[in-house]
Amino acid sequence: MDKTPADNQTPLTAEAEAHVPEVSAAPDSPEEIEARTNSFLPELLTVSPSPHIRTEDTSRSIMLDVCISLMPALIWGIYVFGWRVLTLTLISVGFAVGSEFLYEKLMKKPVTILDFSTVVTGLLLALNLPVSVPLWMPAVGAVFAIIVVKQLFGGLGKNFVNPALAARVFLFAWPGHMSTFTSPGDKLSAAALKIAETDIVAGATPLASLKNGVLPDTSLFDMIIGYESGCIGEVSALLLAAGGIYLLARRVITWHIPVSYIGTVLLVTFVFAKSSLPFDFALAEIFSGGLFLGAIFMATDYATSPVTNMGRVVYGIGCGLLTVFIRYFGGYAEGVSFSILIMNLLVWYIDRYSKPVRFGGVKVDEAGK
Amino acid sequence: MAFTFHGGIHIDEHKTTRRCLVETMPPPKSVSIPLSQHIGAHAVPVVKVGDTVDKGQVIGVIEKGLGCPVHASVSGKVTAITEKNAANGMKIRNIVIANDGEERLSPDIKPWGKSLADTTTEEIIEIIRAAGISGMGGATFPTYAKIQSALGKVERIIVNCAECEPYITANHRLLLENPEAVINGLKILMKAFGLRESEIAVEDNKLDAINKLENRLVGSKMIHVRVLKTKYPQGDERQLIYALTGRELPVGKLPADVGCCVFNAETCAAIFNAFAEGMPLIERIVTVDGDCIKRPRNLLVPLGTSFTDIMHCCGGLIRSLKKIVSGGPMMGVSQWDKDGVVTKGTSAILFFSEKAENRYEQPPTCIRCGRCVRACPMRLMPNYLATFASQGKLEQCEEFDVIACVECGSCSYSCPGHVPIVQYIRAAKGQINDRKRAQAAALANSQVNPEKG
Repeated sequence: MDKTPADNQTPLTAEAEAHVPEVSAAPDSPEEIEARTNSFLPELLTVSPSPHIRTEDTSRSIMLDVCISLMPALIWGIYVFGWRVLTLTLISVGFAVGSEFLYEKLMKKPVTILDFSTVVTGLLLALNLPVSVPLWMPAVGAVFAIIVVKQLFGGLGKNFVNPALAARVFLFAWPGHMSTFTSPGDKLSAAALKIAETDIVAGATPLASLKNGVLPDTSLFDMIIGYESGCIGEVSALLLAAGGIYLLARRVITWHIPVSYIGTVLLVTFVFAKSSLPFDFALAEIFSGGLFLGAIFMATDYATSPVTNMGRVVYGIGCGLLTVFIRYFGGYAEGVSFSILIMNLLVWYIDRYSKPVRFGGVKVDEAGK
Repeated sequence: MAFTFHGGIHIDEHKTTRRCLVETMPPPKSVSIPLSQHIGAHAVPVVKVGDTVDKGQVIGVIEKGLGCPVHASVSGKVTAITEKNAANGMKIRNIVIANDGEERLSPDIKPWGKSLADTTTEEIIEIIRAAGISGMGGATFPTYAKIQSALGKVERIIVNCAECEPYITANHRLLLENPEAVINGLKILMKAFGLRESEIAVEDNKLDAINKLENRLVGSKMIHVRVLKTKYPQGDERQLIYALTGRELPVGKLPADVGCCVFNAETCAAIFNAFAEGMPLIERIVTVDGDCIKRPRNLLVPLGTSFTDIMHCCGGLIRSLKKIVSGGPMMGVSQWDKDGVVTKGTSAILFFSEKAENRYEQPPTCIRCGRCVRACPMRLMPNYLATFASQGKLEQCEEFDVIACVECGSCSYSCPGHVPIVQYIRAAKGQINDRKRAQAAALANSQVNPEKG
């Protein structure tokens, strides 16, 4: 039977009020009704506790939304850094999905690759790598992310740190590969690959110069649209923000973490600017490096972020403070990955202490019960 | 500005029957009337097998304790008084009456002789008790007892027409077709409480009903129509009171403790019928819907009518039936017996196929998205409650206020991982209550034993 969505906002006319739904042709005879009804009656009815209906959203539809929202950044990555980006992404996603499938088969667990969460992990890992990394790196990273970080802790929703970020940090065991950034439009010249091979750090990202208190050569406009050097998916703040807006509109994420995270970085780098132009400096800080990718897509990872809105704001601020701390005082120019991983470890405590006061809870306490 | 509360969920309304006039169901061949339809004592039959009864005649009385008398909903012959398992599994005695089709009214049924102004509070309470009226929204607390316990504490009466459950349109149709009965019933309640003002609260998906009430109540300073934002579970009285007054009802307290008393719209209409015609509560409006039923409609049904009769009356089934739900899909009770009967609290009967369940083929997994936390109208953390409950960590459940859960099901509904959250919570609440009872019993024993020794 077709259910037409009720146009409830329009008051019914008198005519409509008297409307009784049409019965198709003549009503069936009682015998017909009985025969038809009996043919559809089950032997046993299903008895289950309420509620009897569910939302149409599933974990899969949410993960697909995340994949969709990452597409602009991925396509931009291909445009800026060349087709090698696609190869790396396919390797990363392929190994992520493959290792989950094999692990679950071997462990005789239900195979969950269709929930698309591994695709998200693989995508995020690829977007967090420089384009010049050798092809085995996304493969190793993806297997590490899925097997060690996710499956060994119980699979989807049970991992306590973000798998893609943990894998990225694991890959820092090869710092030369991980810190060689190709210039935009370079399409990965042989020279760049050679640099990567010989472990020479060629740090020319805007962040590297910001660390020394120098405003980067890259214009603010280029940083926003993403024509700069950096990891594959982190360069275009604009397209990442577009993906974020899509996720907000689809109610996949809430604004709390991205806004509090980016806001904190903006505020702190403005107040403690290393340059005589604090506003320019702060803007360069938020639009360069992995902040947008981290704040919108990595820090909002469900399994490793708080569930309350209050907790999410606290978590976002914590990420922001740590990011600036590492960017200012750490050995690496970038601090987003590390700060999110550190805050991941605090999520249970944040949840525990941001537990909302239950409805009517205060009054009971006042009553001295 | 519409009144509302925090949390809650937006559900597809499925109010297919909202334009279906309430039709009187052709009297069934027989009815089976349970002697207990609500909290409180079971009624004791005052008729024997073979007796001829009239419509509206008292067939069961309460000897002591809380409860309402039970009346015959058709005229005819008592063919059996048998024990039958109710939907909740309890054995309840039923009086089965074969309908003789004469619709013979009991001579006891006569309008209350006095005018409302001359009627005392005690008399009103007695009329309501004698008519067997209990809350018709689903919780079915005996209305006379609710009034008695709330007398003197109440400053606001609220008529609940939120009808926030999907599918159900019984109250909506009642407001459109018979607003007088609701308004007059409310006036009787106001007289009983000695109040000069009251409120009728309706969700804004029933603007036609709101218009109708407002037109009827133009210039009335006594009864105010309040428009509520459409959101589940607005019809929960805690959320309703909060939306209208800003007062939060503490756990374990009654609405009267915050100065409010909430009545269902159909209960008000029943009170008016009892007062104006002397008619006890023997029939009610039931929304019949669900994807299996051929002709969804609103029916005025004698109490005790079986679901099978109703199914046939609505054109029968058109696809394979999986589940019968008595009440709304969010808090209704699924039936194991297709011959279950309509009672005072049955606002809807829904016939669902497998499709309505919306099963998800992946194993249920919490992805910690936090939707349940946002949906919970009681501001709990259902994801943690479900996790603790599934691991048997009852202390942690208690620490996270599991007892405050009202089991509205918003968490389970909104869970994209299809975790049966509220089901876990219910199980934990049951275990905690069992343990408390056991502890209380052990304590009582230990206090008794030393005296013996």
